[in-house]
Amino acid sequence: MHPLLARLERLGGYLALWCVIGVFESAVLTRQGLTWPEALVQVLPPLLIYSFVCLSAWYVCRATPLATSGVPRVLTASMVAAWVGAALWLALSEAWLATLESMPQLASITPRFRAQTPFLFIVSVMLYLLVLSVHYVVLAFEAFRTAERQQLELQVLTRDAELRALRAQVDPHFLYNCLNSISALTGSDATAARRMCLLLAEFLRTTLRVSTQQSITMAEELSLAEQFLSIEQVRFGVRLQVERSVDENALDCQVPPLVLQPLIENAIGHGIAGMVEGGTIRLEIARRGDRVAITVENPRDPDAMPRKRGGVGLENVRKRLALVFGGAARLDAAANPTGFRVAIDLPHTVDA
Amino acid sequence: MPEPSLPLRIAVVDDEPLARAVLCEFLAAEANVEVVAQCANGFEAVKAVSELSPDLLLLDVQMPKLDGFEVLDLVGRDVAVVFTTAYDQYALRAFEVHAVDYLLKPVSAERLSEALVRVRERLGRGERAATPGAMAAAKPREGHAHRVLVRDGPRVHVIPVDKIDYVQAQDDYVCFRSEGKDYLKEQTLAEVEASLDPKAFVRIHRSYLLNLTRLVRVDQDERENRVAVLTDGRRLPVSRAGYTRLNSLL
Repeated sequence: MHPLLARLERLGGYLALWCVIGVFESAVLTRQGLTWPEALVQVLPPLLIYSFVCLSAWYVCRATPLATSGVPRVLTASMVAAWVGAALWLALSEAWLATLESMPQLASITPRFRAQTPFLFIVSVMLYLLVLSVHYVVLAFEAFRTAERQQLELQVLTRDAELRALRAQVDPHFLYNCLNSISALTGSDATAARRMCLLLAEFLRTTLRVSTQQSITMAEELSLAEQFLSIEQVRFGVRLQVERSVDENALDCQVPPLVLQPLIENAIGHGIAGMVEGGTIRLEIARRGDRVAITVENPRDPDAMPRKRGGVGLENVRKRLALVFGGAARLDAAANPTGFRVAIDLPHTVDA
Repeated sequence: MPEPSLPLRIAVVDDEPLARAVLCEFLAAEANVEVVAQCANGFEAVKAVSELSPDLLLLDVQMPKLDGFEVLDLVGRDVAVVFTTAYDQYALRAFEVHAVDYLLKPVSAERLSEALVRVRERLGRGERAATPGAMAAAKPREGHAHRVLVRDGPRVHVIPVDKIDYVQAQDDYVCFRSEGKDYLKEQTLAEVEASLDPKAFVRIHRSYLLNLTRLVRVDQDERENRVAVLTDGRRLPVSRAGYTRLNSLL
């Protein structure tokens, strides 16, 4: 459907423009000796019908898009359409003049008009070409807007898909090891086994709940990390020590879920677990003005071989931060022979 | 009337105390089984094998210092190995290096009993866990070795590959030269060559694998034989093929 015909107000505006053109044409004719009423009555009716003929330019534009048709083809199509259109105008005009001539009191006004017909024919060709080029501009503009919208939609879809794919998942091996610990405790310390079951259930429930949310408070994220640490402490015993420094003013900050827990998981898996005597993980959450800094440091065995899975969890957190905050958040990881240090810096935002 | 089962002396190796505890608990219910050692890391495991000569290691894969595969590489000729791990992706590799069995955590008492049956079958046939040919499979799958492990009785020497000057073949052994010391290991030079980065170590001779960074120049002696001169002044023979390999890398 032609965009102008689809909406009544657009069609009205279009016809109004054609009336203006008709008035201009009439003004030119008054200079050739016609009176205003004579000029208007002979120009306007065929011209307004011609305005509908010119709407056919839309289909010409669609049939010969600028992007895919060569210049010769566009020019040929335009010229042919313009001449055919103008010929139609001529036919309309002649028919109208004949109607006027059939009325005796008006028959005398047509000869002076007919003298200007060649000039008006050329004007009609020009008008058709003008309408055609306006259509091309409108089409290009619409294509641009569609592309822009599709681009935006694509970005949103990609972001959602990426976030879904990156949604942190509980490492199944962590579960197997936990269950093995519970199995061990069942024989020796039933109370401890029960406590471990409850810790694990709480951790899994919280993880499942927050992983579907866009953002949670730092307090929730910290509590999840603490649940994880309590479980790992059952497994590693005295080998796993934790030092905490938590700024109360940072706890209301909104963060994507599961940004801290994977850092702790890495600190244990790639650090403490590889040390015979274990070590101390340092966890710091600090507020600096409108920024919040999360830092996790852990020692590691200098002789340890780099593990294969290293950095996957970290990359996941880095990507999620980039998707959520763009350039406004950063994750820095630094390794030296005796330790790892991961620092996240993100804006302090509070849920309204 | 079942046959009396073969007595088994077992060392339990896992860095998590609870993981050791549950295995010991299950083993306590088995007949003719004695837990002779509990080890929290690979070094302790090697020491236990040397000093206590157990029949079987129940061996965790991921541990500090030495992982389970490295321990098997070091002691696999002397003891049967059953891996215990939460990770199923090592199973194939475990059987390639002739582990007797592979138990997934959480471990069940029944599955452990089955593993003991297999161990007894294998020991009854007079076989040990690993064969020398299987040792190459114990090397890291991806990339090249970062270090070489050499067992010296109860002790383990960890030699980073960049500290190795050269490796020399000596009968059934290879000798790693590092920081003025020689370390002997029962392995073939071809296996060592396959495990090391071919851009860093070159087979300059049938019996020598050279760390390229130790090479100063190649000389010719009075009998027109080529000789590699090392940073410490030592001279190693270079064969014709070895010289071609050297040239293609330099």
